[in-house]
Amino acid sequence: MFSMGDDSDPLMMLVWIIPIIIFVFYGQQIQLLVTSGEIKKAIKKLDKFRSDSKKELIDYVKKNLDPVDDPTKKIEQFLDYFTIMPVDMDPNGIVDKVRHTVRSREDYTRNHVQSLSPNMDEIELSRVQTLLEIASSLQMIHKIVNHMFLTAKKQKNYPLILPLQMMLPFIMEHAKAMNASIPAFKTGQPLGDGIGPMVVGKMMLNEEKEIISFQTALAKIDYEKRKLFLVKAEGPGSTVGRPDDALQKIVANNKIDVIVMVDAALKMEGEDSASIARGFGAAIGGIGTEKFQIEDIATQNKIPVFSIIVKQSVKEAITLMTKEIAEQADNVRSQVYEMILENTVEGQSVVVIGVGNTAGVPQ
Amino acid sequence: MIFSKDEIILAYTVEKCLKCEKLNRRDFCEGDVLFNSSLKCTFCDGTTVIEKIYGETLQK
Repeated sequence: MFSMGDDSDPLMMLVWIIPIIIFVFYGQQIQLLVTSGEIKKAIKKLDKFRSDSKKELIDYVKKNLDPVDDPTKKIEQFLDYFTIMPVDMDPNGIVDKVRHTVRSREDYTRNHVQSLSPNMDEIELSRVQTLLEIASSLQMIHKIVNHMFLTAKKQKNYPLILPLQMMLPFIMEHAKAMNASIPAFKTGQPLGDGIGPMVVGKMMLNEEKEIISFQTALAKIDYEKRKLFLVKAEGPGSTVGRPDDALQKIVANNKIDVIVMVDAALKMEGEDSASIARGFGAAIGGIGTEKFQIEDIATQNKIPVFSIIVKQSVKEAITLMTKEIAEQADNVRSQVYEMILENTVEGQSVVVIGVGNTAGVPQ
Repeated sequence: MIFSKDEIILAYTVEKCLKCEKLNRRDFCEGDVLFNSSLKCTFCDGTTVIEKIYGETLQK
């Protein structure tokens, strides 16, 4: 009396039961299939970034540097170079080991890039080195993502693909930013990350400069009866210099009372791009060895470290500087002077470090 | 895909005259470097220096 006519229909029962059975036994494979589509699209994009960056690099070398031989084979060899990080089971002394490994790689790359065209100047050399790093990183990202995807597919293992699916938007954001940064590096334009060198570079203008450490410039100026040691990477080549070595040398020969660092920093979601913040501690990114050395020097000599950061996204940091960031340069400079006056008295000495890539920013 | 937009970054160079302090924005030319001397000022014929180089994103 209460039965619904359709429920007892065996055909309708099958319509309900068959999908349930399919989902129970093949649910993971279906999910894998759906997710695979998205990941395949991302891998295709990564592959395009990889081949485009390689092509851009080879074209740049052929067009601008008058290489001795065809550079294609040599560049392809460089792209496959890998770095094995030191073992960290015993962390004692790990920073020196990492620094040694990274600097050895940098020296090796520089020497071999130079061998492509012996007449290449320092600025071109730094550009090619950066383009090589970008192409190499994009190749590595593509390789790793592809490996994780193919492994999950081969094992028909859906949980294995989950971490990749979760990380993929972040990986793609970085890869897109790296791909978008190539034109800026090729033409020597300042990047968002160059705000630190831009601020300190202007403070150094018309002052006597010296090279204090590898690819790092120093100028000494007087400001309101205080002595300022201005440090930045030597521009306008594409380099971050070695501010840690520079600080070591300055502190070894002078009594320093305050360190002020100016750098670009990644903004959080929801924060305004190009907003400025002040704080304590060493504002410097990278692999961590330079930060470690700066903190070590500051701690040993009991020097307070103050920082001013200009917030920006990953893409803004490594592509051509945006108008908003460029317009903050004067504001940041006045905040540096303000910070110096607030935290020192007459007769004291301050090291001001403009941290970041100095492409397109001389001093 | 229907929501994705192609982006073009247009690069500009801003020159500042050292004499009359007027700013002039023009398209970026390869070789432009911050703080370097640039073209003569169009207002007072003074020397200009490159004050800023930046990009503006145009969405197609």
